Amino acid sequence: MNDHFCAFSFVDRIHPGKAPNHIRGSYLVPAGVCAFPASLAAEAVGQLAAWAAMDAVNYERRPVAGIASRFELLNSPQPGQLLDLSVDIETIDSDAIAYSGTASANGVPLIHLEHCVGPMVAVADFDDPQALRERFALLCGSGATPGRFGGIPPLIPDRIGGEPGSSATAVFQVPTNGAFFADHFPRRPVFPGSLLMHAKLELARALASEAPPAPGGAWVLSAVLDMKLRAFIPPGKILDMEARFTDRSSESSTIALETRSGERSMGSARVLMTSTPIP
Amino acid sequence: MTRTEITQDEINVIFPKVAETMADALGCDVAKVKPNASLIDDLGAESIDFLDIVFRLERAFKVKIPRGKIVEEARGTLSEAEFEKGGVVTAAGLQRLKEFLSEVPAERFGSSLQVASIPRLFTPETFCKIVIRQQRSAPAAATPAA
Repeated sequence: MNDHFCAFSFVDRIHPGKAPNHIRGSYLVPAGVCAFPASLAAEAVGQLAAWAAMDAVNYERRPVAGIASRFELLNSPQPGQLLDLSVDIETIDSDAIAYSGTASANGVPLIHLEHCVGPMVAVADFDDPQALRERFALLCGSGATPGRFGGIPPLIPDRIGGEPGSSATAVFQVPTNGAFFADHFPRRPVFPGSLLMHAKLELARALASEAPPAPGGAWVLSAVLDMKLRAFIPPGKILDMEARFTDRSSESSTIALETRSGERSMGSARVLMTSTPIP
Repeated sequence: MTRTEITQDEINVIFPKVAETMADALGCDVAKVKPNASLIDDLGAESIDFLDIVFRLERAFKVKIPRGKIVEEARGTLSEAEFEKGGVVTAAGLQRLKEFLSEVPAERFGSSLQVASIPRLFTPETFCKIVIRQQRSAPAAATPAA
């Protein structure tokens, strides 16, 4: 099976927006996948923005993951849901796209992205421009056949140290192969920034569970702030991760996340957590 | 107005907000953001950080910053051929660059400067001046009809 436009593509249809800088789309989460993390809903919004950007510059450039000032996790996406995607574009040019966007299901917002910036790179280094052009026409017309996403493998960093309840260090090996690499991207496989975020959030959740806000309470991940991806991550790359509490009160806490390859920072983010009673 | 030289007072007025914006983008303490620090060599900025800084400054100051055109603007009236040869800034180009980036200490320019290395010269004050230029060139607010 050809995994291009299947294994890591999260827009089935594209619709005109209500304003020139607004674009809408939809994606049906296959009912058969065991989970669909919030980071993939964010990926879907980012991919809708990417389609708008590529079409605007005649498929000569494409955006890649770069910056998300704020990524709000409002409700968990579920298998079988039809995601309504919405993007408001601030600017598109040959250097970057800036946008905000939302994914919702049945009128209920799932995630919201605020002030995202995707640096533009040459399309031809990553994908076939003509195939992308034809795919965009399909998405804007009859739409893609839904249900071709088969899920993602477990992406759990291996904890190696830190101070329990305060910080955690881990090693994360990017998979050496995976169907998603054929789609992201066909000419140059790159580990998706959304999956890196998913792995980092797993580490943040593990750390948060060690230091609950109060007896009978738990930290719930509410937003990721100042998320930045600094470099392309190839298959098989071994990364060092660190999660560290930076602020903590009885109502909220912040965990700083850093990913490195040797001395080089590959990405960073801050996770905002709010205290919630355990039912 | 747009042609007048940017004064130190104008820079001083906006510098605290520029420094705060850069500290947020770079994830560093605002005290580290000195007016003449090299964004790349002293503050560790990478290309993604420059994008971040530009978009944050646009939002903070409600201006549009011409991304990727800073070097073009620095060139002024010089043609591309007058400004650089084989990727190296010419003597005339260097002279023009020193005038445009007057906030950058002279020794940082060196005697031979690659065009690709020009961003290494940029400082927080460089971006203060860019913001001020864009504020000056923004259309004046509409005057209500009498």
